[in-house]
Amino acid sequence: MLGETKSGMQCTEFDALLAEAMDGTLTGERRERFEQHKAGCTACGTLFAEVSSGLAWLDEMEDVVPPPMLVHNILAATSGAAQAEAKTEPRTPVWERLRRQAGALFAPVLTPRFGMSMGMAFFSITLVLNMAQIRIRDLTPHNLSHTFYSSQNKLMRYYENMRLVYEIESRVRDLRNASEESERQREERNRRYEKNKNQTQEQNQNSEPDRLEPREHAQWLASLIGNERSIGTNFGSLAKQRRER
Amino acid sequence: MLARFAVPHGRVAEARVEEAQIVAQIVRRCASGDAVAWEEIVQRFHRRIYNICYRFAGSADDAQDLTQEVFIKVYRTVSSFDGEKASFNTWVTTVTRNLLVDHFRKTRNDRATDSLDATQGADEDGPALVDRLAGNSESPQTHVESRERREMVHQALQQISPDLREAVILRDLQDMDYREIAQVLKVPEGTVKSRINRGRAELARLLQRTYRQAL
Repeated sequence: MLGETKSGMQCTEFDALLAEAMDGTLTGERRERFEQHKAGCTACGTLFAEVSSGLAWLDEMEDVVPPPMLVHNILAATSGAAQAEAKTEPRTPVWERLRRQAGALFAPVLTPRFGMSMGMAFFSITLVLNMAQIRIRDLTPHNLSHTFYSSQNKLMRYYENMRLVYEIESRVRDLRNASEESERQREERNRRYEKNKNQTQEQNQNSEPDRLEPREHAQWLASLIGNERSIGTNFGSLAKQRRER
Repeated sequence: MLARFAVPHGRVAEARVEEAQIVAQIVRRCASGDAVAWEEIVQRFHRRIYNICYRFAGSADDAQDLTQEVFIKVYRTVSSFDGEKASFNTWVTTVTRNLLVDHFRKTRNDRATDSLDATQGADEDGPALVDRLAGNSESPQTHVESRERREMVHQALQQISPDLREAVILRDLQDMDYREIAQVLKVPEGTVKSRINRGRAELARLLQRTYRQAL
């Protein structure tokens, strides 16, 4: 087919002009030769018919509409998500945007089940506070701090008191122990005294004369006194001699 | 079929030049770090890029991911764009095409067989293409028929080879001229025209064969 010449045109030339013929830009003498070749060449005539048919099918095609979020996604991928949102979404009032954000934020808790649970919890807490005689107005930061410091003072005082009590108890215990010790020592002393006394009596019995009669005892004492006087006399004579000297 | 030629060629060219100048200004602002200009680029081109990706990849999810990848790449390399070499439109399309080719190579092993009995990509529970073709004649609603035909063409488009598919998409679905397509595909204009013709013919044969099977 390719090298075949019909109506003054080769099939390769026909193929080259086919696109222009389809576009409608083939005119004049070239158009006539093209048409003649198409009529005379079965292969090229068939090719022309197929190309025309294909073009007809394709001309029915329309642009598809891109997904609505495509531009947003592209801008988010290139310029950043925040910038994309600001530029692609239509402008809405601030309160509307806040309301939407709040709605989205609290959507999980705005359910009947959650509301019932919250109600029960509130009722229970109120009941407990009433039983504990705690008023709601006591729960302000100022009152709470006041309560905290007063409770802390009470606790400190209680602690100090308990320490004093324990100290007193400890002292009493020490005194009791000390008194018991001194009692024990006194008893020990008495025991030793008795023991020494007994021993002394035994020694005295051995060194002193046998039990004397009152008269004999008086004589013994007089002898002792006489000895003392002689000693005094001796001391007196010595003093006299010294003065004389 | 020839709706794209309703406007005279000269006016189309003028409109394109004017559009290209506006886009060039926006791109310059974007390259200097203007975030508003970048958003304008995304707004102007996202639909076009998404459609190219959707027609080539066949799936809406893939198209969305690929479109994002394209714009991320454009965002990173926009400062390297040279307006004297090509228009921004051509440059963006080239970036898109390169990513699509990469995607095609990566997913080659995962791709389904080229049977037209394959179901619709985005709707796996939908009827097979053959079944939908058979049911077309029975449907009384033109709108529904038209939508189903478009879906069939979209499915058939996935069956032709990638070289032909990309040329057909850029020409017949994105309305690019041959010179721009040649720049994007990096092949001569003659090759572009040849691929477009072969792609259209392949698509027609595919749909006719499927239609005959349905009958």
